[in-house]
Amino acid sequence: MVSAQKRAHPKAGRMAATLAAICLLLAGGFVFGQGAYLTAKAEIAQVLLAKAWTRAQDGETAPTPWPWADTWPVARLSVPSLGERAIVLAEGGGEALAFGPAHLAVSPAPGDAGTSIIAAHRDTHFAFLRDVEPGDEVIVERADGERIAFRVTHTQIVHAERSGIQPAGGPARLALVTCWPFGSLTPGPLRYVVWAEKIMTDHPDAGFELALNSGTG
Amino acid sequence: MTSSRTRNAAGSQAWLGLMIAIAAFAATIFLWSEAQADTLDPATPEGMVRLSEVNEGALLLKTVEAGVYVPAPLVATDIALDISGPVVRATITQRFENPSEAWVEGTYVFPMPEDAGVDRLRMQIGERFIEGEIHERQQARQIYERARAAGQRASLLEQERPNMFTTSVANIGPGETIIVQIEYQDVARLRDGTFEVRAPLAITPRYIPQDVGYQLASTGSISRSSVPDAHRITPPIMHPDSEPGEGLRLPVTIRANLDAGFELGPVASRFHATYVEHTAPGQATVRLADGPIPADRDFVLTWRPANETAPSAALFTETVGDETYLLAQILPPAQLGADTPRRPRETIFVIDNSGSMAGESMRQAREALIFALERLEPTDRFNVIRFDNTMEQVFPDAVDASAVNLATAIGFVRRLDAEGGTEMLPALVAALNDSRPDETGRVRQVVFLTDGAIGNEQQLFEAIDVGLGRSRLFPVGIGSAPNTYFMSRAARAGRGTFTHIGQISDVAEVMEKLFTALERPVMTELDALFPRDALAEIWPAPLPDLYYGEPVVMTARLQSTEGVMLVEGELAGETWREQLSLANTRPASGIATLFGRNRIRSIEETRFQGAYQDTIDAGVLRTALEFSLVSRLTSLVAVDVTPARPVADPLVQRDIPVMAPDGWDLEAVSDDRIDPVQHAALDTALIDQLRPGRDPNAQAVDENGVPLPATATPREMMMWLGALMMLIALFWLIANRERRLW
Repeated sequence: MVSAQKRAHPKAGRMAATLAAICLLLAGGFVFGQGAYLTAKAEIAQVLLAKAWTRAQDGETAPTPWPWADTWPVARLSVPSLGERAIVLAEGGGEALAFGPAHLAVSPAPGDAGTSIIAAHRDTHFAFLRDVEPGDEVIVERADGERIAFRVTHTQIVHAERSGIQPAGGPARLALVTCWPFGSLTPGPLRYVVWAEKIMTDHPDAGFELALNSGTG
Repeated sequence: MTSSRTRNAAGSQAWLGLMIAIAAFAATIFLWSEAQADTLDPATPEGMVRLSEVNEGALLLKTVEAGVYVPAPLVATDIALDISGPVVRATITQRFENPSEAWVEGTYVFPMPEDAGVDRLRMQIGERFIEGEIHERQQARQIYERARAAGQRASLLEQERPNMFTTSVANIGPGETIIVQIEYQDVARLRDGTFEVRAPLAITPRYIPQDVGYQLASTGSISRSSVPDAHRITPPIMHPDSEPGEGLRLPVTIRANLDAGFELGPVASRFHATYVEHTAPGQATVRLADGPIPADRDFVLTWRPANETAPSAALFTETVGDETYLLAQILPPAQLGADTPRRPRETIFVIDNSGSMAGESMRQAREALIFALERLEPTDRFNVIRFDNTMEQVFPDAVDASAVNLATAIGFVRRLDAEGGTEMLPALVAALNDSRPDETGRVRQVVFLTDGAIGNEQQLFEAIDVGLGRSRLFPVGIGSAPNTYFMSRAARAGRGTFTHIGQISDVAEVMEKLFTALERPVMTELDALFPRDALAEIWPAPLPDLYYGEPVVMTARLQSTEGVMLVEGELAGETWREQLSLANTRPASGIATLFGRNRIRSIEETRFQGAYQDTIDAGVLRTALEFSLVSRLTSLVAVDVTPARPVADPLVQRDIPVMAPDGWDLEAVSDDRIDPVQHAALDTALIDQLRPGRDPNAQAVDENGVPLPATATPREMMMWLGALMMLIALFWLIANRERRLW
């Protein structure tokens, strides 16, 4: 009796332990998978968006990158000094941010009078904002072919609900928004804003590359 | 001892592991939901919802604020057709359901048979019915708007096109249903011995031509000189993918009571499954076999007499006050002119390959055109023109229908793809451009295959009237919901006849019939003669030419019903005459309405003969008010005197998106981002919220500035945590395994 019980116990314990370990493994896999899925979404979307972007440049209005998308590319943003570039999406039903930087619909188009707001996740598309410094150039190419150069003036940390950003009025400015602090693992109410002001507008065939080089050099 | 300690250790380890696993699982769920909601922002404006708050199959309209939606009213439609002989009395019942928490004004654009005589509007609230009154359009709108502002329930029925109407219903309370009933009078179309009645359910989205580029109107901000009312005829369209998966957003039920007046042969619906019950000789009831149908394809009911020798003439009268109105439908004998030799022809085929035709429609059009080309004989001449927002002719001028030329044309047609806008005018002008106007030995026919998805009908009618010459125009309607108003009026203006292809399997049969009509001689010089002093007025006047298989249809106002009327016409050099006794007519209701409607239509069409706009307007208005008909200048309005909405509560305006017609390919229509759009509301703050405007001044931004979206994902944390969990689990598994080895 006793010996039988003694034999049965460690076996059951080991089985429970193995089961628990497998559960933990699966749960860990699931959690990791969720994280990896967000990463993949962010990375793969930019590839698909590149195609939709060329369609946008060809004059198509609102070219959705995939048929069920509720967003479409409106501009391409690059920071030549850091070698970073990303395709900016129209802010649609709130899904846009998962795929790329989103241009907030309440704000004017980049380059138009007023403050154009572009937001993105701090851990993916706008991770590079931490390295952006005043004086850096930010280039925005719009679907209509205009390329606008902005120069970063200053950076700022604001509360999400009281950003103080007024989109209407004033000169053409750009506000690049992401979460603050960088590297934090949990969401918070603070936002990091990179302010830039327009320095020139040009069409690609008007020798803009030159101006671009002098700016970065 | 050792073994027992091991056992205990293993047991507690197992428990610890289980707890970690459960905790990890809970954390996963939490993080997952966080990830889903990582862009939410806390404040939702009143009357609007977030996707996460919706738990039923409601239709949602986007607002300017990302992720915030408004539920749209739902419209269920019931159509009852009472058919007596060729006379159709239809009752459309629309149930407006407001699923939202706000007071709502619903606007629903819906199709009607072209030139239907709409003469009644009733609004049902609970047990009460409120009867609509006919007023001049502007006046009706003012009455409606006053009632709307005062919080009274009101409904307004306006005509946008003779086959497109708008119902507006103001002050539908939260969760409330308002029923609007519309009645109209119509005549079944007789063609080749088959009666056909059409209940249009879908609207083919209209293309609005523009000076630069093109676009399918959808945003309500378009104002183009060619189509000044563009915003009124372009309701938002729901993308088929966005329609609720279960149940119908715009369900339609249809039933028909048919009293044919002769022994009935086959009764059938062309595109929908129906139950037909023959209740008595000559009578039948029809209902849908599979329950409600979606509003994406027209309902067409056809019936024929059991024996082909059924009487070829039908006369109906209605007496209203001291006036008697007559409806006559007389079918000339089929063998008339059958042995006339076929005359050589010059046929110009015009095919619409604009984006609206993409999919099923384009296949139908291609098939039909190839069928038609193969029917040509070597003595004929032909040309093929295709158009979208550009235009192309296969040959610079009409060429002989030689085998080589036909092969070239057929090859061209096979390669056609549907894309681009619908710039119909240049193609129409090119087709009517006759390089040999004096060649009398040949008939010149223009066969025009299109879905008529255009908004500039007026310009096209004018072009037909100016350029027709000896040509005759034969529009062929393609698709599940062609613009029949455009087709039939273009056919009348072009002195041809209108044919409709509804599905690909009908192509051969329908085109065969059209070609028989094209090849048979036309009956001209039609006239109806009445006894002295019997006739007061007859419409249409003059009677149009008749193609093979078509009946003479006319309405008249009579001063006496004694004696006989004589109908005569010329066909291939012979005179056809038929005598009908006026005393021998069947009484029917609604004939007066049909007469009024015909008079309005005929007056409207005098525009093409150069009548002054003022004269036309005066005539239309007088007739519409006399017969209580909705027209271009008159609307029906019903107002409940009891106020319902507390004036302090805001009212939200919602356009109810129409369904994309069946077989329609929205992707192929350029610039097709048809986001559901809503405009106008009494509360200006709410208007700003609802209008998806670009204008930053229109946004409600306070001194706190723009609220910024969440821009962090738990991505890194999840990956770290997941990796850690897997690592622990692996470690543990290995440890367990090693202990077993010991």
